[in-house]
Parts: sequence; structure tokens; C-alpha cells
Amino acid sequence: MKEAQEFQESIERHARYSLGNPWSDLSARDRFAAVAFAVRDRLIDLHLATEQRYRKADSKRIYYLSIEFLIGRSLGCHLHNLGIRETCRQALDNLGADLEEIAEMEPDAALGNGGLGRLAACFLDSLATLGMPGCGYGINYEYGLFKQEIDDGYQREKPDNWLARSSPWQIPRPEEACLVPVYGRVERTVDRNGAYNPMWMDWKILIGTPYDMLIPGYGGQTVNFLRLYSARSSQEFDMGIFNDGDYFKAVEQKMTSETISKVLYPSDAMVAGQELRLVQEYFLVACTLRDIVRRFEQNHTSYEEFSAKIAIQMNDTHPALMVAELMRMLLDEKNLEWEQAWNITRETLAFTNHTLLPEALEKWPVSLLERVLPRHLEIIQEINRRFLEQVSALQPKDEDRLGRMSLIEESDPRQVRMANLAIVGSHSINGVAEIHTQLIKTSLVPDFYNLWPGRFNNKTNGITQRRWLLEANPALAELIRNAIGDGWITDLCQLRGLEKFASDPGFQSRFAEAKRRNKDRLTGMIRETARVNCDPASLFDVHVKRIHAYKRQLLKVLHIIYEYLSLIEDGRQPLAPRTYVFAGKAAPGYWMAKQIIKLIHNVGRVINHDSRAADWLKVAFIPDYRVSVAQRIIPAADLSEQISTAGTEASGTGNMKFALNGALTIGTLDGANIEIREQVGAENIFVFGLTADQAQAMHRERLYRPRESYDRDQRVRRVVDVFRSNLFSPTEPDLFAWIHRTLLDENDTFLHLADLAAYLDAQDTVARAFGSAGWTRAAILNVARMGKFSSDRAIREYARDIWHMEASLEAPPDESHNGARMDEVSLRAG
Amino acid sequence: MEIPIEKVGGVAVATVPVDELDASNSGEFKRDIGPVLQLQPRVVFDLGQLRFVDSSGLGAMLSCLRQLTAKGGDLKLCSMSKQVRALFELVRMHRIFEIYNTRQDAVQAFQQQHA
Repeated sequence: MKEAQEFQESIERHARYSLGNPWSDLSARDRFAAVAFAVRDRLIDLHLATEQRYRKADSKRIYYLSIEFLIGRSLGCHLHNLGIRETCRQALDNLGADLEEIAEMEPDAALGNGGLGRLAACFLDSLATLGMPGCGYGINYEYGLFKQEIDDGYQREKPDNWLARSSPWQIPRPEEACLVPVYGRVERTVDRNGAYNPMWMDWKILIGTPYDMLIPGYGGQTVNFLRLYSARSSQEFDMGIFNDGDYFKAVEQKMTSETISKVLYPSDAMVAGQELRLVQEYFLVACTLRDIVRRFEQNHTSYEEFSAKIAIQMNDTHPALMVAELMRMLLDEKNLEWEQAWNITRETLAFTNHTLLPEALEKWPVSLLERVLPRHLEIIQEINRRFLEQVSALQPKDEDRLGRMSLIEESDPRQVRMANLAIVGSHSINGVAEIHTQLIKTSLVPDFYNLWPGRFNNKTNGITQRRWLLEANPALAELIRNAIGDGWITDLCQLRGLEKFASDPGFQSRFAEAKRRNKDRLTGMIRETARVNCDPASLFDVHVKRIHAYKRQLLKVLHIIYEYLSLIEDGRQPLAPRTYVFAGKAAPGYWMAKQIIKLIHNVGRVINHDSRAADWLKVAFIPDYRVSVAQRIIPAADLSEQISTAGTEASGTGNMKFALNGALTIGTLDGANIEIREQVGAENIFVFGLTADQAQAMHRERLYRPRESYDRDQRVRRVVDVFRSNLFSPTEPDLFAWIHRTLLDENDTFLHLADLAAYLDAQDTVARAFGSAGWTRAAILNVARMGKFSSDRAIREYARDIWHMEASLEAPPDESHNGARMDEVSLRAG
Repeated sequence: MEIPIEKVGGVAVATVPVDELDASNSGEFKRDIGPVLQLQPRVVFDLGQLRFVDSSGLGAMLSCLRQLTAKGGDLKLCSMSKQVRALFELVRMHRIFEIYNTRQDAVQAFQQQHA
């Protein structure tokens, strides 16, 4: 009671003194800000205590570098993690406001495209919950991923200026700004002692200003931070240009510097050759390293200790320039010899690979690097020279191998291979699911694996249950809490305790009721956003993720078309009524993905308006997919579609979120689906289609014959032939004729027709099972067996195998922690 | 630009009189320090006031150094802020110049060389 009173006073104080109005006069958005400021006060106190603890212990620090952090909303999770959700609710009650309504006012921090960025955000939550000194470093994009609007079924992109009103979570740290030179040339001179001294001349300077977002772990004992850098110009204006009378050029130059942190690049955009993206990547790396060094030098004088005190994890190749930047710093600024600098670099850096698609591996033209980062290119060339010498000594006369392993691709134009740079410069290279790691070793970079087998390891991705169950699915979280307590919040394996309830009719009924409540909620969202009325009793069949050919949204549409044609032409009613739910963004320049969005809308338009299908089929595309929307969709799903072509999805984490929320998976043997099947049991998941080996062989030996599948199976033929008609494009003839050609093309990389028949069969099995006690039992067992997929497990593995961390630093229990416990108790009692 | 010069035992100590030495004023600095370099072979730049220097500012100092060494003189720097020092190190210019914490240290270094 007292705590709620104090919290209320804090909110009112911030309303008045941070926002300049009494609470009663604040807009809904400002009310959110006032609450966020009150929460931030607590975070700051806990963060300062955490930092003091780390400093006292001289802890090894983990720096997690990622070009994306897909954070979403923070308020709900912070309240859970600090244990003050009920306190806040009570305080807001006293002020005549509703916590859920306030929380809805928070804009998503959409600083990422999808899996890679969301993984980074989950990892930060786990690092803090496990009490580890681990922080994130990224870019403070002014514009996050674009907002998606739908106009006549077509995606339209609108800018997402999420910082327009500044974020109450961000703490600016201008006193820790750093200088980052870019461009220029290297002047090869000698120093005062006659030694070679390559000087970096004629550079331009960027200033990186950090903004911290505090990240509390569950229980509130540890509050780490995510440091995001904004770029600004070194001056208000270049007065030289200004004085020459060219005002606009002076302004333009200032704006160019500030453009660096302006916008997040959508994935799949053709970034190769895009200078701004390269500068962004270097900006991140350079700012981060300045900060790492600043912190390190507060307590240490010898760089021999560097790798014992610092671990840097590069999330994909975007921060791979860290290899060259760390070398540059050690050689040029700290005067270390090459060998010593190289050993420190390799012992400090570790690299996570996220993709198997060769076109997604970053390369930068040598000429561009020479212009933007001349000193770094020199260092990369020297790393390469030494590395190839080493390979040559081990494998003499194997020119092909040297060509494949070289950091420089001898193409036209010559390009620097960032994955090779990251691999050569790291002591650890990890994949993100078992099959993915295997494919890295055997297909992606087998030469490197053969050279350094000990450096390659697997760290299957994970998700934080604090966001994806406790926050996203309060109905299920409460049911679980009542059944087995709340130990699962920090030890997800405790969900195993639910197994004994899987066949209990009472528990099954409550489990189904929780699902139904989530489906009711989603039904409202579908009505409001997609303008589709659907039946919450129907099977919610959900395919939500980035729109990309390899994720095969098209395969899902083929199934819908099959069901529809069977119903209206054959009178074959589906075994269960279904609502097909899609959501996802297509990269603005990715024509095919945008066509798929149009196709989904057109198919939906026909089916949703056909009275013959009214009781059986609905198709909804929820626009502007983002973390907060995912938190609404995933808990309501019955069926989770994870149907990428085997061997293409590195891991996936959506698959884990759905299963944790009691959806059954229909999926290929790809990414983490394989491990999900191992955990939940083959009888509790619907698996179909080619294996990665089979798909690979089909490509390698050119065995894919879509025409044979088409001739052999009438169902396949029927669905494919739809695209020769204009059934789904009556006003835009031949709009989807390309799909007919693609599906029958032997070069269809994603092998749609090889899997279609098996997919349709698997969907029949799904329909037969839906609604039975067996379905609910399987759903409960899915939840119970998701322990492995917590990001806490993943982080523990990174800490043990890659960062070589000591045990986490537990703070002694204090009042805030006791407060957290009291809140949870009162929740249970309620 | 008015550059204060102090003579200490045969060494000219010039105080760089700006907070920022960059494209807007480095040309002026080079022009105004020119006569000093003509007359004095042993020069110290006191950078105590300087908070920021860009590549043209560094270029101006490098040019002064080269001018002096070409005729057997030298240029030493002193009283650099942390931020300016960091920039020198970033681009390896700290290996070209002799850098001292204080102007006394810099002058003394000249005098010891002379002795």
C-alpha cells in the first residue's frame, strides 16, 4: 500500500516536473511517459548499484554487438522484472488510470528487422536475469523499421520516426561522446625513430553520442544497459564553407554526418555497395571500441589482460569490422607488436553466424573500403597476407582453397568477405541451431572448419520466457503459476512439471479456456486491423514472420487455395473451420515478397466474400507486424507454420515462441524445428517434407522435377493451374502468372512443389486432430517441454563455452527484491 | 588570429588560441604562425586551450613540423586535452610529434637536447 502510494507520488512528480503538467492534464501518451519516468528512477538506482558491484569484483565484461536490437515495448517487461507490476497497477488505479491502456501507448522500439535483432533483445534480458555483466551496443536509429500500411493489398512503407517525441527510457550521455574518423587516405611515412608509420590523413569526423536504455533482470538485482549511438556532426556548421557564402552546402554537410544513424536498413535490401551502410557498421564498431577501452583503462594498465576482462560477441557479420578496428587500436594507439595484437584480438572476439544463404553474406568492394576506411583496408590486407601464408604452409599448392579462404574475393570488383574476416579474427564461430552449425561446417565454410575444427560450435537460439510467456500471455502464465508455481520464470525447465497435468481433464479445460481468451482478444485485433470477422472457435493457423521466398508464405497460400477449391468445387468441407492469419513485412525493394502480400490479400478478398466458405475459411493479414503485435498473435495461435525449405532457416525463434504458448507446430526439418521435435516428441508436432540433405542433393544433382509432381498429383495440378486463371486477380489480369512459371521452374530454389503434396497430407492430419483432447494434451506437452529454448540456457552456454565467464554475481537480497516477491505473492493470491 | 608567443630560454612557446582548430581556421593559423617559424627553429605549441582538432588542423600542425625539421629545427607539443590526444593516437600522429604534459617539460626537452 505504502509502496503504491510512493509510486503514485513519483508518477505525479514526473508529470509535473518532467512533463510540465499535472497528471490530470496529460495526454494518454504523456501519461505513459510519466509512468516510464517513475520506473526509470528505480532502474537508475539499481543500475548504479549493479555497476558498483561489477567494478568491485573487476568482472569480465561481455559486449554484445548487433546492428539491430528489436526491443519492442519495455514497460510491461520492466514492471515484471522489477516486481512492481501490482504496485504500478494500484498506483494507476488511485490516479483513475488503467495500466493496460497506458502500456498500449508505448511505441515499439523497432530497431530491427526480425530474428537477429529480437534474439539480441532476448539475450540482454537473460544476461541481466543471470546477473552477468553483459551489455548491448547498437545504433540509435532515428527511424526504425518502416511502418507497413496496406493499400488495395499492396504494401506501402511509411517512416517510423519512433524518436520523434524522444523515448523516456533513453538516458543521453553526451559526456561520453566519442570521435570517429572516416574517409581520407593513408600517408606512408616514418616516425621519429625511423619506423614505418602509416598516418591516416584527410579524414572527416563523426561524433557518436551514446544513449543508454537500462535493462533489468528478473528480480531486479541486476540492471545492465543497452548503449545506442547517435551520429552527429563535429560542428553545428562547417564555418569555412559557411563563410564562403555557401550556407546550404554547410547545412548539407552537417546533415550528411547525422544521416549515419538516421535509418535502419531493411534486411534483404541490396546493401552491397551502399556506402552509408558501411559507414553505419564502422560507426557502431568504432564507438563501441572507444567505450570498451575507456572502461577497461579505468581499472587496467596492461593490454595483456584485455581478453581476460573483455569478451566481444559479434552478432552476424555487420560488426565484423571490429577485427580490423581492434587491431588498428592495438597497433596504432597502443603500440603493440602485430603478433601480440593479433592474439589479443582473436582471444577477445567471437562470431555468431546467422545465415546459410550465400547472397546474404556481406561483401564490400575493396575500392569502397579504401575510400571509407583506408587504414582498415591496409590492416585487412595484412591479416589476409599472413593468413594465406599460414594456409599455404599447411596445404601447399591448393590454389582453389586459397581462393575460397581469402578475405579478398578476386572478382570484378574485388571484394572483402566479411564472414571470412570475422572467422579468421575470432576464437569462436557459432551457428544458432544444431543443423545450422552442421551446415556451416559442411557447406558454408568447410575449408575453415577443416583448418580450425575446435573453433566451431553450436549455440541453439533461445527466447526469454519473461516476455514471451509471462508478459505476452498472462492467462497461460497464471494457469501455470497456479499449477507449478513460478520457478519457470527463471528456470524454464521447471515447465516439465506440467507434464503430469497433460491428461487431466480439468487442467485441459482451463488450458483451452486460456487459449480461447487469447483467441477472443486476437479476433478483436483482426477485426480492427484486417477488417475480417472470424470465429474464435476456428483453428487459428498462423504464419507470421518476415516475408521471404525461403520462408515459403507461398506454400501456405497454396494450401489455402487447395482447401477453398475443394470446398467450392467439390463440396468437400474442411475437417475443421480455419482462420488463416498472416503478418510480416517485405523489404521495400523485394518485388516478389511484396507480390506475396498482394496475393494473400487477393486470396483473402475472394474467400472472405464467398458465402460458400463463410463458415469454414477466413484469411486475415494483420498489418505492421512488430513485437507488440507478435505478443498478441502468438498466444492465440493453434497451429504454428514453420515451413521453410529445409536447410535455409538458420534457427528461427518464432517456432519456439509459438510452442511455448501452446501452439502445435507444422514444420519442415529445418532450423530449430528439429530440436523442437526432439524435445516435444515426434507425436506432438506435424513434420513433413524434404530433409536438408535431400533438398541439398536435389540442388546439387539437379533432381528437382516440379513438372512430375504436377503431373502425378491432381491436387498439385489444381492449385498450380489457378495461377493461369485470374480467379484471384479479376481486375488485374495475369498479375500472378509469374507464380505459375515459378512453381514449375526446375530452378525454383525453394522447391515448393517438392513439398506441396506432403504439406497437404500433413494439414489433413492437423485438421483431424484439432479440437480433440489429444490436441490439448499435445499442446500442454509442447509448453512443458520448451525448457531448452530459453535464452537463459543459450546465454549460459555462451558464457561457459565462448566467454569463459565466472559464476554470475549475485547481489544480496535487498528491499526491492523482497518487494518483487511480495508482488508475485499478491498476484497469486489474487 | 592573434597567437601569443612566449620566449623561454631560446624556445618559442606559441599558445594555440582557439577551442577548435579545423577547416574554418587552420589556414589562418598556418598563415599567422608562419613568421614565427621563419625566425625560431625551436618551437612549442601549447594546446591547453584546444578542445577539438580536425584533419585540417592536424594537417596544419604537421606542415609546421615539416617546415621546422627541414631547416634543422623541431616542434614539440604540450598540454593536450585527453580528447585531442586521443585523436593524435587514432591517426598515429603521436609518433611524429614529441608530446609533453606541460610547457615546462617541452621546453626542458629542448634544452636537454641542446645541452
